[in-house]
Amino acid sequence: MTGSRALAVWGRVAAHAAAYGRRPSVEDVCAVAVSSAQLGGAWVVAARGGEPDFVMYVTDPVSEQLAEVQLMLGEGPCHDVLASAGPVLAGDLGDAESVRRWPAFIPAACQLGAGAVFAFPLIVGAIRAGVLGLYRDAPGPLPGRQLGDLLILADAATVMLLGSAHGDAGNGDGAAVDGQAPDLALHRAEIDQATGMLTVQLGVPVGEAFARLRAYAYSQDRRLADVAGDIVARRLRLGRDPGQDGGP
Amino acid sequence: MDTDLLSDTFVELADTMVTDFDIIDFLHLLTDRSISLLAASAAGVVLADPRGELRVAAASSEEAGLLELFQLQNDQGPCLECFRTGRAVTATDMAGPDGRWPRFAEAAARAGFATVEALPMRLRDQVIGALNLFRAEPGPLDPADLRIGQALADVATIGLLHERNVRRRETVAEQLQAALNSRVVIEQAKGKLAERLSIDMDRAFTMLRDYARNTNQRLTDVARDFVDGATADFPPPARRQRGR
Repeated sequence: MTGSRALAVWGRVAAHAAAYGRRPSVEDVCAVAVSSAQLGGAWVVAARGGEPDFVMYVTDPVSEQLAEVQLMLGEGPCHDVLASAGPVLAGDLGDAESVRRWPAFIPAACQLGAGAVFAFPLIVGAIRAGVLGLYRDAPGPLPGRQLGDLLILADAATVMLLGSAHGDAGNGDGAAVDGQAPDLALHRAEIDQATGMLTVQLGVPVGEAFARLRAYAYSQDRRLADVAGDIVARRLRLGRDPGQDGGP
Repeated sequence: MDTDLLSDTFVELADTMVTDFDIIDFLHLLTDRSISLLAASAAGVVLADPRGELRVAAASSEEAGLLELFQLQNDQGPCLECFRTGRAVTATDMAGPDGRWPRFAEAAARAGFATVEALPMRLRDQVIGALNLFRAEPGPLDPADLRIGQALADVATIGLLHERNVRRRETVAEQLQAALNSRVVIEQAKGKLAERLSIDMDRAFTMLRDYARNTNQRLTDVARDFVDGATADFPPPARRQRGR
């Protein structure tokens, strides 16, 4: 079961981008999310210092206002997901729990016609890149199958955000996402450990260490998990200057 | 069964479940105690990620052979079957002709395990994870030990879902993802500390955990502050205030 589901979801993102003749971006992730989970719209907010910072992309005017109103109020699911590091699945904005939780956001959201909001943190451990938000007119739970797909789509958006923030346009991390077979091994202890080690080896923040690790694996045409394994086993060190990467 | 050890363990686990406890630290303690109570060689808590993967939340050792056994169970083995059936599953006689999971059996035998058990972490009709026990002795746990093993798996479930009343299925998913991300934060911190001090991952984990306990902080918070921090000094020169 490993990876096959993620591969199918990434394939839909790549196909959506190809249909528009462009490289996959958060725009394609949002479009696939909306269609696969039958939602009204989606938005991506970039984070800075662990807080939602600015609206990066929206699919429609309602999404734009839902995203903006949370930034304005400093309250809502987008703030909560970055604090809790787990998704917020508010299937019924009219229920007592939601009203108690977001007293200012809920009236605004309901006025915009949103019945349900689902927010996913775009994070990898301590790295907090942003938030993927989604809404639906009608209240109701998110089926388990759709939850899995949306978590995978959030992973895709996370890699894209980190790649575009740290990779250089030609051969950076964004290019790895562009490939037909993106490396799906996001969730391995060794990748996380190697990322932590690279913060020291490269002297960079953790988000940049993660992007450099992926870019290196891509440039060497090697699997991310294998490169991470070499770093953890101390068979490979990456230099502060990208040109110096090599053995110990 | 050592009844003093049994009661001490449950008292210790209950004492740990105070407000604001750290779930990964708690599950780690639970795997350690499972080993001593059930004469196991190794143990781990595996969670079902809705992305379609089984992911380790805590393991009694970072030994590569053990981690491989968790990873392999994404394709075959007692954990996967436990998730599918919702029942406790025992894989025994790894060297013998039990042909259900050839690749898993081979890796388990190579790591020195004769018996592997997966005990479901159940919440009503949903299986959210499993407690995985690895033992050198052939043959399943006796019924009394199996009950204790299942009680430990149930305590793991309670720990994972402690924060809120989980009437909503959604809350389970929210808590599970937060716990899985905590594990990632801790792995990143282990890597940074291991590189900084040229120590192994097990030692790095112990240092982080001991520092968290000695300063009354959650392990995940200590790990996140360390990973986020501009310096690689550990312990940190001065405690920073949380709440950015």
